[in-house]
Amino acid sequence: MTNTLQRPFVARPAPIEPVINMVDVGMTYPNGKVALADVNVSIPEGDFVFLVGPSGAGKSTFIRLLIREQLPTTGRVVVAGRDLATMRRSQVPALRRRIGIVFQDFRLLPSKTVYENVAFALEVTGATSAEIRQRVPRLLNLVGLHEHDDHLPAQLSGGEQQRTAIARALVHDPKMLIADEPTGNLDPVTSWDLIQLLIQINSMGTTVLMATHNQEIVNAMRRRVLALEHGTLVRDESGAAYEHEY
Amino acid sequence: MRLFRFVAFAVVRAWQGFWRNAMMSLAATATMVLMLVLLSGLFIVIGGLNSGLAFIEKKVGVTARLVDNLPQAQLDTLLADIRQLPGVAKVDYVSPAMAMDRLRQAYRDQGMTLDLGGGGDITLYASVEIKLTDANRASSVADALRGRLEVDIITTRQVDYDKLLGIIGVIRTAGIAALALVGLTVLFMIVNMIRIAVYSRSNEIEIMRLVGASDSFIRWPFILEGILCGFIGAAVTIILVAVAWEPIQPIMVRVFQMPTAVSADFLAFLSAVILGVGLGLGAIGSWISVRANLASAA
Repeated sequence: MTNTLQRPFVARPAPIEPVINMVDVGMTYPNGKVALADVNVSIPEGDFVFLVGPSGAGKSTFIRLLIREQLPTTGRVVVAGRDLATMRRSQVPALRRRIGIVFQDFRLLPSKTVYENVAFALEVTGATSAEIRQRVPRLLNLVGLHEHDDHLPAQLSGGEQQRTAIARALVHDPKMLIADEPTGNLDPVTSWDLIQLLIQINSMGTTVLMATHNQEIVNAMRRRVLALEHGTLVRDESGAAYEHEY
Repeated sequence: MRLFRFVAFAVVRAWQGFWRNAMMSLAATATMVLMLVLLSGLFIVIGGLNSGLAFIEKKVGVTARLVDNLPQAQLDTLLADIRQLPGVAKVDYVSPAMAMDRLRQAYRDQGMTLDLGGGGDITLYASVEIKLTDANRASSVADALRGRLEVDIITTRQVDYDKLLGIIGVIRTAGIAALALVGLTVLFMIVNMIRIAVYSRSNEIEIMRLVGASDSFIRWPFILEGILCGFIGAAVTIILVAVAWEPIQPIMVRVFQMPTAVSADFLAFLSAVILGVGLGLGAIGSWISVRANLASAA
């Protein structure tokens, strides 16, 4: 018998868990310099966010807090559901495997080949040879370097080096990819190629946070923009441009 | 399996690291060898002297030379009195004829014949040889005999024994001081070797931290590098000691004028000590350096 009073079941979307949650975060260095002040940011899983601001605005501190290289002097930083302040030291490596990071200067090991650079990130976390053999070619394929796997970094272009760094950053299937000025050393064409790759990675579900000075890319992409000035979050706007538009 | 992979990783990285800074690593290893050779020398000399000491200890006793023509009754009383003294294990009367036989035998042992120049009437003194339960009793036994009319001269090897104890004490003190100095130098060299290794691999360490390598993966290769330095140093020293072992024995006997030979077991014991000290110093030095230079890692 059907209960006419019973409401039909309606599936409601589950609230999206923020992959990054910063609450009243402040960071003051021992010399008194305020790097961040009262920053409140929530980034849901799967988002693509630009972090912009002039040099010294606090972008690097923002990133260092996310990977727990530093702890905030005030407020809370929660990444992938974990409060970084209460996290034990022994749990930090596990956190960092959930966050991939790439830098402007690539930070590849010059004596290792492309394959070895990517494999190194697995090797130092205790992966088996079978895992390495399975994952590394897949990632090199994703970043378009499968034919350059035996090249040393010095034999690669800047764009290819950055792709190698991205492959390495993705080696643990992180929930989030942090890119700190990834196009800073690249020409415009190569920069756009790299952005296409980041978009592709984002479309596969990985949250991307990209710190950049590249106005052209930010303006063209029209994604969420977090703007920092003197350590303060002055703008958090979706579909935005590099500069505030009136 | 995971542990095996970790150990394999750490050992391979330690080996690569050791040879990457070959000059510094070899300098630290050479200093380690120097220190371990000193340690071995000290052990061998003290071991030999202890062996000599044990030999003398067995021989240490009191010899009482008797006056001539002592009547048997007085001799018996003297022997009975000596046996009553505390610390006396055994009392032997050596007649002049027995003393002469011993002298002749001693000459024969050296391939010579005792030539008394036709003086057949030469006689030696009669004596009482007293063996002690404890070498330190020699003075009290000698004091008890002193002043007795039956006794002419009293001799003991207490002085030799005390002198040898003194020499061993000095060698031990000087050796330990020298070892402490060289040991500190070795420690300093290893700390610096690891510090240079950490700096030269700072890029790698940073990447390891960023990709989520645990503290163990970052630190243990460096600690093993120090242990490797200790192991190589110990192995070289053990080979040197094994080669020098046989030639050293007669030199020691000549220098110290006593049977200083030690058993073959001593060589095995010494090798274990060398290995233990080498590995221990390597581990301690690298641990100190890693703690100081990788404090901010992870």
